[in-house]
Amino acid sequence: MNSCPYIEKIIDYRLHRLTDEERSSFETHLDSCPSCRHELAIEMAVEDELAAEFQPGLIEQAVMRRLEIQREKDIRSFWLYSYRIAVLGITAAIAIFVLLPYLLKFPRSYQLDMGKYAVAFRDFFAGLAAIDPIFLFMGFGYFLLITSSIYALAQLRR
Amino acid sequence: MTRLITIHKGLVFTIVLRMTNDYDLSQDLTQDAFIKVFMNIKRVKGAAHFKPWICTITRNVVRDHFRKAKRTQAISFENVKDFHVEGKSNIDSTRRRIVIQGALAKLAERDRMILTLTYYEGLSLGEVAQALKMSENAVKVGVHRARKRLRKYLEGYEHELMSIH
Repeated sequence: MNSCPYIEKIIDYRLHRLTDEERSSFETHLDSCPSCRHELAIEMAVEDELAAEFQPGLIEQAVMRRLEIQREKDIRSFWLYSYRIAVLGITAAIAIFVLLPYLLKFPRSYQLDMGKYAVAFRDFFAGLAAIDPIFLFMGFGYFLLITSSIYALAQLRR
Repeated sequence: MTRLITIHKGLVFTIVLRMTNDYDLSQDLTQDAFIKVFMNIKRVKGAAHFKPWICTITRNVVRDHFRKAKRTQAISFENVKDFHVEGKSNIDSTRRRIVIQGALAKLAERDRMILTLTYYEGLSLGEVAQALKMSENAVKVGVHRARKRLRKYLEGYEHELMSIH
Protein backbone atom coordinates (compact mmCIF):
# COMPACT_ATOMS: atom_id res chain seq x y z
CA MET A 1 0.00 0.00 0.00
CA ASN A 2 1.25 3.52 -0.61
CA SER A 3 1.78 6.22 2.00
CA CYS A 4 -0.17 9.03 0.31
CA PRO A 5 -2.39 10.85 2.87
CA TYR A 6 -5.34 10.66 0.44
CA ILE A 7 -5.28 6.87 0.57
CA GLU A 8 -7.58 6.93 3.60
CA LYS A 9 -10.23 8.71 1.56
CA ILE A 10 -10.55 6.10 -1.17
CA ILE A 11 -13.10 3.90 0.57
CA ASP A 12 -15.15 6.94 1.60
CA TYR A 13 -14.96 8.15 -1.98
CA ARG A 14 -16.29 4.84 -3.28
CA LEU A 15 -19.00 4.78 -0.61
CA HIS A 16 -20.05 8.37 -1.55
CA ARG A 17 -19.30 9.66 1.91
CA LEU A 18 -17.17 12.67 0.97
CA THR A 19 -18.58 16.18 0.92
CA ASP A 20 -18.66 17.92 -2.48
CA GLU A 21 -15.54 19.88 -1.55
CA GLU A 22 -13.64 16.79 -0.37
CA ARG A 23 -14.75 14.89 -3.42
CA SER A 24 -13.52 17.47 -5.93
CA SER A 25 -10.26 17.87 -4.02
CA PHE A 26 -9.79 14.08 -4.07
CA GLU A 27 -10.55 13.87 -7.79
CA THR A 28 -8.01 16.63 -8.53
CA HIS A 29 -5.47 14.71 -6.48
CA LEU A 30 -6.20 11.51 -8.36
CA ASP A 31 -5.06 13.09 -11.64
CA SER A 32 -1.62 13.62 -10.24
CA CYS A 33 -1.18 10.54 -8.02
CA PRO A 34 -0.59 7.20 -9.78
CA SER A 35 -0.49 5.24 -6.51
CA CYS A 36 -3.97 6.50 -5.48
CA ARG A 37 -5.26 5.66 -8.97
CA HIS A 38 -3.81 2.18 -8.54
CA GLU A 39 -5.42 1.82 -5.11
CA LEU A 40 -8.75 3.06 -6.47
CA ALA A 41 -8.59 0.48 -9.25
CA ILE A 42 -8.02 -2.25 -6.64
CA GLU A 43 -11.00 -1.08 -4.62
CA MET A 44 -13.15 -1.09 -7.75
CA ALA A 45 -12.01 -4.62 -8.60
CA VAL A 46 -12.96 -5.72 -5.08
CA GLU A 47 -16.37 -4.07 -5.45
CA ASP A 48 -16.94 -5.84 -8.76
CA GLU A 49 -16.28 -9.16 -7.07
CA LEU A 50 -18.40 -8.33 -4.03
CA ALA A 51 -21.30 -7.45 -6.30
CA ALA A 52 -21.18 -10.81 -8.10
CA GLU A 53 -24.28 -12.96 -7.81
CA PHE A 54 -23.90 -16.72 -7.75
CA GLN A 55 -26.53 -19.12 -9.00
CA PRO A 56 -27.23 -22.55 -7.50
CA GLY A 57 -28.71 -24.05 -10.68
CA LEU A 58 -32.16 -25.63 -10.83
CA ILE A 59 -33.07 -26.27 -7.22
CA GLU A 60 -36.80 -25.53 -7.44
CA GLN A 61 -37.99 -29.12 -7.87
CA ALA A 62 -35.64 -30.44 -5.20
CA VAL A 63 -36.92 -27.87 -2.70
CA MET A 64 -40.56 -28.68 -3.48
CA ARG A 65 -39.88 -32.42 -3.06
CA ARG A 66 -38.14 -31.87 0.29
CA LEU A 67 -40.92 -29.57 1.41
CA GLU A 68 -43.49 -32.27 0.69
CA ILE A 69 -41.48 -34.83 2.68
CA GLN A 70 -41.13 -32.34 5.55
CA ARG A 71 -44.89 -31.74 5.63
CA GLU A 72 -45.62 -35.47 5.67
CA LYS A 73 -43.19 -35.81 8.57
CA ASP A 74 -44.97 -33.00 10.43
CA ILE A 75 -48.35 -34.70 9.95
CA ARG A 76 -46.90 -38.00 11.15
CA SER A 77 -45.42 -36.37 14.25
CA PHE A 78 -48.78 -34.69 14.95
CA TRP A 79 -50.51 -38.09 14.90
CA LEU A 80 -47.74 -39.63 16.98
CA TYR A 81 -48.17 -36.86 19.56
CA SER A 82 -51.96 -37.40 19.60
CA TYR A 83 -51.37 -41.12 19.98
CA ARG A 84 -49.09 -40.53 22.97
CA ILE A 85 -51.63 -38.28 24.65
CA ALA A 86 -54.38 -40.86 24.03
CA VAL A 87 -52.25 -43.67 25.49
CA LEU A 88 -51.46 -41.57 28.56
CA GLY A 89 -55.16 -40.77 29.00
CA ILE A 90 -56.15 -44.43 28.72
CA THR A 91 -53.39 -45.42 31.17
CA ALA A 92 -54.64 -42.83 33.65
CA ALA A 93 -58.26 -44.00 33.22
CA ILE A 94 -57.27 -47.64 33.77
CA ALA A 95 -55.29 -46.63 36.83
CA ILE A 96 -58.19 -44.67 38.32
CA PHE A 97 -61.10 -46.91 37.41
CA VAL A 98 -59.59 -50.40 37.34
CA LEU A 99 -56.32 -50.71 39.25
CA LEU A 100 -57.07 -48.43 42.14
CA PRO A 101 -60.52 -50.00 42.95
CA TYR A 102 -58.92 -53.42 42.59
CA LEU A 103 -56.13 -52.55 44.99
CA LEU A 104 -58.56 -50.95 47.41
CA LYS A 105 -60.83 -54.03 47.07
CA PHE A 106 -63.97 -52.20 45.99
CA PRO A 107 -66.94 -54.44 45.00
CA ARG A 108 -66.62 -55.31 41.29
CA SER A 109 -70.04 -53.89 40.37
CA TYR A 110 -69.03 -50.48 41.73
CA GLN A 111 -66.25 -50.14 39.18
CA LEU A 112 -68.69 -49.43 36.33
CA ASP A 113 -71.03 -47.20 38.29
CA MET A 114 -69.63 -43.72 38.81
CA GLY A 115 -72.10 -42.87 41.60
CA LYS A 116 -71.43 -46.01 43.58
CA TYR A 117 -67.74 -45.62 42.83
CA ALA A 118 -67.67 -42.16 44.35
CA VAL A 119 -69.61 -43.36 47.40
CA ALA A 120 -67.22 -46.30 47.81
CA PHE A 121 -64.31 -43.96 47.64
CA ARG A 122 -65.83 -41.68 50.28
CA ASP A 123 -66.66 -44.65 52.54
CA PHE A 124 -63.22 -46.10 52.05
CA PHE A 125 -61.50 -42.92 53.11
CA ALA A 126 -63.98 -42.44 55.97
CA GLY A 127 -63.16 -45.96 57.13
CA LEU A 128 -59.46 -45.36 56.83
CA ALA A 129 -59.33 -42.10 58.70
CA ALA A 130 -56.00 -43.15 60.12
CA ILE A 131 -54.39 -43.16 56.66
CA ASP A 132 -53.63 -39.76 55.28
CA PRO A 133 -55.44 -39.42 51.89
CA ILE A 134 -52.51 -37.33 50.60
CA PHE A 135 -50.37 -40.40 51.01
CA LEU A 136 -52.71 -42.35 48.70
CA PHE A 137 -52.81 -39.56 46.12
CA MET A 138 -49.03 -39.30 46.14
CA GLY A 139 -48.84 -43.03 45.52
CA PHE A 140 -51.21 -42.59 42.61
CA GLY A 141 -49.04 -39.73 41.25
CA TYR A 142 -45.92 -41.89 41.42
CA PHE A 143 -47.74 -44.65 39.62
CA LEU A 144 -48.64 -42.30 36.76
CA LEU A 145 -45.09 -40.96 36.63
CA ILE A 146 -43.57 -44.43 36.38
CA THR A 147 -46.10 -45.52 33.75
CA SER A 148 -45.48 -42.50 31.54
CA SER A 149 -41.70 -42.81 31.95
CA ILE A 150 -41.82 -46.43 30.79
CA TYR A 151 -43.93 -45.35 27.85
CA ALA A 152 -41.56 -42.49 26.95
CA LEU A 153 -38.55 -44.84 27.10
CA ALA A 154 -40.36 -47.30 24.84
CA GLN A 155 -41.03 -44.47 22.35
CA LEU A 156 -37.40 -43.34 22.44
CA ARG A 157 -36.20 -46.86 21.77
CA ARG A 158 -38.47 -46.98 18.75
CA MET B 1 -43.81 -21.19 -4.69
CA THR B 2 -41.33 -22.24 -7.37
CA ARG B 3 -41.47 -18.67 -8.70
CA LEU B 4 -40.46 -17.37 -5.29
CA ILE B 5 -37.46 -19.72 -5.30
CA THR B 6 -36.49 -18.64 -8.82
CA ILE B 7 -36.60 -14.96 -7.85
CA HIS B 8 -34.65 -15.24 -4.61
CA LYS B 9 -32.33 -18.21 -5.09
CA GLY B 10 -29.50 -15.98 -6.33
CA LEU B 11 -29.61 -13.88 -3.16
CA VAL B 12 -29.83 -16.88 -0.83
CA PHE B 13 -27.14 -18.85 -2.64
CA THR B 14 -24.79 -15.85 -2.78
CA ILE B 15 -25.09 -15.32 0.98
CA VAL B 16 -24.54 -19.00 1.73
CA LEU B 17 -21.60 -19.30 -0.64
CA ARG B 18 -19.93 -16.20 0.81
CA MET B 19 -20.34 -17.68 4.28
CA THR B 20 -19.27 -21.25 3.54
CA ASN B 21 -16.94 -21.09 0.54
CA ASP B 22 -18.23 -24.51 -0.43
CA TYR B 23 -20.30 -24.87 -3.59
CA ASP B 24 -21.89 -28.27 -2.84
CA LEU B 25 -22.64 -27.41 0.77
CA SER B 26 -24.14 -24.10 -0.37
CA GLN B 27 -26.53 -25.96 -2.67
CA ASP B 28 -27.82 -28.00 0.28
CA LEU B 29 -28.01 -25.06 2.67
CA THR B 30 -29.84 -22.96 0.06
CA GLN B 31 -32.48 -25.67 -0.11
CA ASP B 32 -32.64 -25.81 3.71
CA ALA B 33 -33.13 -22.03 3.81
CA PHE B 34 -36.04 -22.18 1.35
CA ILE B 35 -37.68 -24.99 3.29
CA LYS B 36 -37.46 -22.85 6.43
CA VAL B 37 -38.83 -19.90 4.51
CA PHE B 38 -41.88 -21.84 3.33
CA MET B 39 -42.49 -23.44 6.72
CA ASN B 40 -42.54 -20.01 8.39
CA ILE B 41 -43.82 -17.79 5.61
CA LYS B 42 -46.88 -16.75 7.65
CA ARG B 43 -44.59 -14.88 10.05
CA VAL B 44 -43.50 -12.29 7.47
CA LYS B 45 -44.98 -8.90 8.28
CA GLY B 46 -45.69 -7.61 4.79
CA ALA B 47 -43.96 -7.85 1.43
CA ALA B 48 -41.54 -5.01 2.27
CA HIS B 49 -39.99 -7.15 5.01
CA PHE B 50 -39.63 -10.27 2.90
CA LYS B 51 -36.09 -9.76 1.56
CA PRO B 52 -34.54 -8.85 4.94
CA TRP B 53 -36.40 -11.77 6.50
CA ILE B 54 -35.13 -14.25 3.93
CA CYS B 55 -31.57 -12.93 4.50
CA THR B 56 -31.92 -13.43 8.27
CA ILE B 57 -33.24 -16.96 7.79
CA THR B 58 -30.38 -17.79 5.44
CA ARG B 59 -27.82 -16.46 7.91
CA ASN B 60 -29.37 -18.54 10.70
CA VAL B 61 -29.38 -21.68 8.56
CA VAL B 62 -25.64 -21.25 7.90
CA ARG B 63 -24.95 -20.51 11.58
CA ASP B 64 -26.94 -23.59 12.65
CA HIS B 65 -25.01 -25.71 10.21
CA PHE B 66 -21.66 -24.57 11.57
CA ARG B 67 -22.86 -24.94 15.13
CA LYS B 68 -23.94 -28.53 14.44
CA ALA B 69 -20.88 -29.40 12.39
CA LYS B 70 -18.59 -27.62 14.88
CA ARG B 71 -16.49 -26.40 12.00
CA THR B 72 -14.51 -23.23 11.81
CA GLN B 73 -15.43 -20.90 9.01
CA ALA B 74 -11.85 -19.90 8.32
CA ILE B 75 -10.78 -21.31 5.00
CA SER B 76 -7.33 -21.03 3.55
CA PHE B 77 -6.71 -19.52 0.14
CA GLU B 78 -5.79 -22.95 -1.24
CA ASN B 79 -9.15 -24.45 -0.31
CA VAL B 80 -11.23 -21.78 -2.00
CA LYS B 81 -12.64 -23.08 -5.23
CA ASP B 82 -13.91 -21.13 -8.18
CA PHE B 83 -17.65 -20.50 -8.37
CA HIS B 84 -19.85 -20.34 -11.42
CA VAL B 85 -20.82 -16.89 -12.54
CA GLU B 86 -22.59 -16.67 -15.83
CA GLY B 87 -20.93 -14.61 -18.51
CA LYS B 88 -17.48 -14.35 -16.93
CA SER B 89 -14.95 -17.06 -16.92
CA ASN B 90 -11.27 -16.73 -17.59
CA ILE B 91 -8.15 -17.56 -15.66
CA ASP B 92 -7.56 -14.00 -14.43
CA SER B 93 -11.09 -13.49 -13.11
CA THR B 94 -10.93 -16.91 -11.49
CA ARG B 95 -7.70 -15.97 -9.72
CA ARG B 96 -9.18 -12.67 -8.63
CA ARG B 97 -12.24 -14.46 -7.29
CA ILE B 98 -10.13 -16.94 -5.35
CA VAL B 99 -8.00 -14.17 -3.84
CA ILE B 100 -10.97 -12.04 -2.77
CA GLN B 101 -12.98 -15.01 -1.53
CA GLY B 102 -9.96 -16.13 0.47
CA ALA B 103 -9.62 -12.67 2.04
CA LEU B 104 -13.35 -12.59 2.76
CA ALA B 105 -13.05 -15.94 4.51
CA LYS B 106 -10.61 -14.35 6.95
CA LEU B 107 -13.11 -11.70 7.97
CA ALA B 108 -15.45 -12.12 10.90
CA GLU B 109 -18.86 -13.55 9.98
CA ARG B 110 -20.54 -10.22 10.68
CA ASP B 111 -18.18 -8.29 8.38
CA ARG B 112 -18.64 -10.83 5.62
CA MET B 113 -22.40 -10.59 5.94
CA ILE B 114 -22.31 -6.78 5.88
CA LEU B 115 -20.22 -6.72 2.71
CA THR B 116 -22.23 -9.43 0.99
CA LEU B 117 -25.56 -7.75 1.59
CA THR B 118 -24.37 -4.18 0.98
CA TYR B 119 -22.89 -4.93 -2.41
CA TYR B 120 -25.66 -7.28 -3.48
CA GLU B 121 -27.60 -5.48 -6.15
CA GLY B 122 -31.24 -5.00 -5.25
CA LEU B 123 -30.93 -4.62 -1.48
CA SER B 124 -31.39 -1.13 -0.08
CA LEU B 125 -29.45 0.14 2.93
CA GLY B 126 -32.66 -0.08 4.97
CA GLU B 127 -33.15 -3.73 3.97
CA VAL B 128 -29.54 -4.57 4.85
CA ALA B 129 -29.97 -2.88 8.24
CA GLN B 130 -33.22 -4.77 8.85
CA ALA B 131 -31.66 -8.12 7.87
CA LEU B 132 -28.70 -7.58 10.18
CA LYS B 133 -30.82 -6.05 12.95
CA MET B 134 -28.65 -2.95 12.98
CA SER B 135 -29.27 0.74 12.43
CA GLU B 136 -28.51 2.19 8.99
CA ASN B 137 -25.67 4.23 10.49
CA ALA B 138 -24.18 1.14 12.11
CA VAL B 139 -24.27 -0.60 8.72
CA LYS B 140 -22.47 2.36 7.09
CA VAL B 141 -19.75 2.29 9.74
CA GLY B 142 -19.58 -1.50 9.51
CA VAL B 143 -19.10 -1.43 5.72
CA HIS B 144 -16.26 1.04 6.03
CA ARG B 145 -14.49 -1.03 8.68
CA ALA B 146 -15.04 -4.29 6.83
CA ARG B 147 -13.66 -2.80 3.60
CA LYS B 148 -10.55 -1.65 5.45
CA ARG B 149 -10.02 -5.06 6.99
CA LEU B 150 -10.59 -6.75 3.66
CA ARG B 151 -8.02 -4.48 2.00
CA LYS B 152 -5.53 -5.40 4.70
CA TYR B 153 -6.01 -9.09 3.99
CA LEU B 154 -5.54 -8.39 0.28
CA GLU B 155 -2.11 -6.84 0.76
CA GLY B 156 0.41 -8.63 -1.42
CA TYR B 157 -2.25 -9.81 -3.90
CA GLU B 158 -2.47 -6.56 -5.87
CA HIS B 159 -1.15 -8.22 -9.01
CA GLU B 160 -3.99 -10.79 -9.06
CA LEU B 161 -6.56 -8.09 -8.38
CA MET B 162 -5.34 -5.86 -11.19
CA SER B 163 -4.64 -8.53 -13.78
CA ILE B 164 -7.93 -8.09 -15.63
CA HIS B 165 -8.00 -4.31 -15.54
